[in-house]
Amino acid sequence: MKPVIETRELCRFYGAGDTLVKALDDVNIRIDPGEFTAIVGPSGSGKSTLLQQIGGLDIPNHGKVLLKDKPISEMSGKELSDFRRDHIGFIFQAYNLIPVLSAAENCEYIMLLQGIPAAERRERVLSMLAQVGLEGREDRLPGQLSGGQQQRVAVARAMVSQPDIILADEPTANLDSQTGMELLDMMHDLNRNEGMTFVFSTHDPKIMERASRLIYVEDGKVIREETRNG
Amino acid sequence: MGLTWKLALRNILRNKRRTTLTLLLISMTLAILIFTDGYMRAMSDVMVRSATRLYPGDGQIHHVDYLAERDGEKVISDVDGHLQRLQSTEQIASYSPRAMDFAMVSSSANNLAVQLVGIDPQLEAGVSKLESSLVQGEYLSSQGRSQQIMIGRPLAELLEVDLGDRLVVSVNNYEIDSVDQRLFRVSGIFQLNSKFYDEALIFVPLASAQEMMGIGSNVHEIAFNFVDESLSSDESLALWSELSGPQTIAEGWTTLMPDLATMIGLMDYSMLIVATILFVVAILGVINAMFMSIYERTYEFGVVLAIGTRRSSLFVLIMAEGLMLALISLVLGSILGAIAVEITGAVGIDYGNMDISGVALAEVLRPEITIGQFTELPFSVFVMTMVASLYPALHAARIVPAQALHKSL
Ligand SMILES: Nc1ncnc2c1ncn2[C@@H]1O[C@H](COP(=O)(O)OP(=O)(O)O)[C@@H](O)[C@H]1O
Ligand SMILES: [Mg+2]
Repeated sequence: MKPVIETRELCRFYGAGDTLVKALDDVNIRIDPGEFTAIVGPSGSGKSTLLQQIGGLDIPNHGKVLLKDKPISEMSGKELSDFRRDHIGFIFQAYNLIPVLSAAENCEYIMLLQGIPAAERRERVLSMLAQVGLEGREDRLPGQLSGGQQQRVAVARAMVSQPDIILADEPTANLDSQTGMELLDMMHDLNRNEGMTFVFSTHDPKIMERASRLIYVEDGKVIREETRNG
Repeated sequence: MGLTWKLALRNILRNKRRTTLTLLLISMTLAILIFTDGYMRAMSDVMVRSATRLYPGDGQIHHVDYLAERDGEKVISDVDGHLQRLQSTEQIASYSPRAMDFAMVSSSANNLAVQLVGIDPQLEAGVSKLESSLVQGEYLSSQGRSQQIMIGRPLAELLEVDLGDRLVVSVNNYEIDSVDQRLFRVSGIFQLNSKFYDEALIFVPLASAQEMMGIGSNVHEIAFNFVDESLSSDESLALWSELSGPQTIAEGWTTLMPDLATMIGLMDYSMLIVATILFVVAILGVINAMFMSIYERTYEFGVVLAIGTRRSSLFVLIMAEGLMLALISLVLGSILGAIAVEITGAVGIDYGNMDISGVALAEVLRPEITIGQFTELPFSVFVMTMVASLYPALHAARIVPAQALHKSL
């Protein structure tokens, strides 16, 4: 099977000299389609940096990132921006949504950039918001939704643009454990039912348990990988 | 694109206080510019009118060589021809021929150098304020020979004379090339409220002056006023050459009173300085407000860039926010400016004969509305706001998503 994402000797350093931080140090990972993978490690271990690299948000100092065999780390500017729009879904820890747009409008946003016709946009948004359990709340502004609901909208927004992979950087870190578990279960359902590939980071042991595969990072290095059944 | 406008509008409504202050800053800038323009226009009009309509007139005709040395021999010989041309020109409201030369005036107390001016009293009354400035006695009543003479009050005090007292005037007679002396009796005392005119000019009937000077029916100057005084500052008018004869030249106050023209020019210059200061303050204010709104949204911009928004779209969004602020302010500022000009125009600003560089402001200032105040000025304020938006917009477009997302978490 062709991997969705592959990194080769991926390095990202911040600062220089005495203050040099090796946020990623020779990282070689591979994500296959349909995976539900957790990147696990303590704070400052390089999880966010890794997700930014494989999502084409930042350029590596060394090595490359391949998405479906295409070296995205070599693209630049508008190319990369359009590439992210069409192939990558992002979910961040919090404040994912544009505060002046309603839940539905936030979901529509990327499709608007993609130039998808209005009728199709509307249809995809409504069905996806229903899938994440937000039926009837489509016209609420982010400020009128709870933290968990906002994260659900973020998941829905990532889903509707039909990317190759969704990258979620500690999506549950700002939620209480109950709500966090629910969000993760919902993502897992989308993974199983829609076949969407998810990579998310966490340092919460309970959240890790849901992952079908675990990549442990520490000091910018992958120290262990683990695959689970179920 | 609809999305950009929707986002821009909702974004500027996000922080209502900041938006209100920014709108006020821009619209007040425009309103002050409009008012200052209306005020400066009124001020320069009043200054010009106060100066020209006091005595000199909007324009004057002389022998081409007269003004260089005020040589009494350089006369306008075809007086009737000139007067007929003035008479038949629609834009001309009034005119007055004047025979004038340097003279000595003597009373029992004093001898003083003055300028003797012979006038047609009726015609002169249409051009200058001489008749209405009479404070004692009577205005000249005939243009034929008589002993009537009008002098300014300060001159009367210097000469220590009163109404009815005798004065001897000596002036050069060009026909016989020697001094002609005549006796006059003070028939009127005027006060034009100009030190120069009040101390230096003495008026006698035109025929008396012409006879004393030995210039026949010739004159040295024909002063005239336009129906529409604003024409007088237009040096490109064909009228100037139409009124000139082969040996004579018609000129407006801009050439005749270069000091006044310079002062009016200085007022345009002050308007420019006021505008520049306002613009600098407003630009800094707008940049500051927009930067604050962008700093607050750094993380948000990091997210929208991450999910695939192009940098150019972010740039366009911030410019659209600036554009909306600009458009709303233009409407607001134009209304405020119009109200300010209308109110002060209706009430009038009274300087009570205040003297600005020797020109007494003889009228109440009434700021005027012009089309330019609602075209050029709003346009320049619009351009200013868009220029001020440029820097914040470029800054927003240069946000690095990885950094924006890292910093804020
Ligand atoms: N934009 C940045 N500038 C400087 N240092 C950074 C930046 N992003 C991350 N780092 C550093 O790189 C290391 C890894 O950070 P990060 O990837 O955010 O870790 P994690 O997400 O696992 O907490 C940390 O030491 C962090 O301070
Ligand atoms: Mg992190």
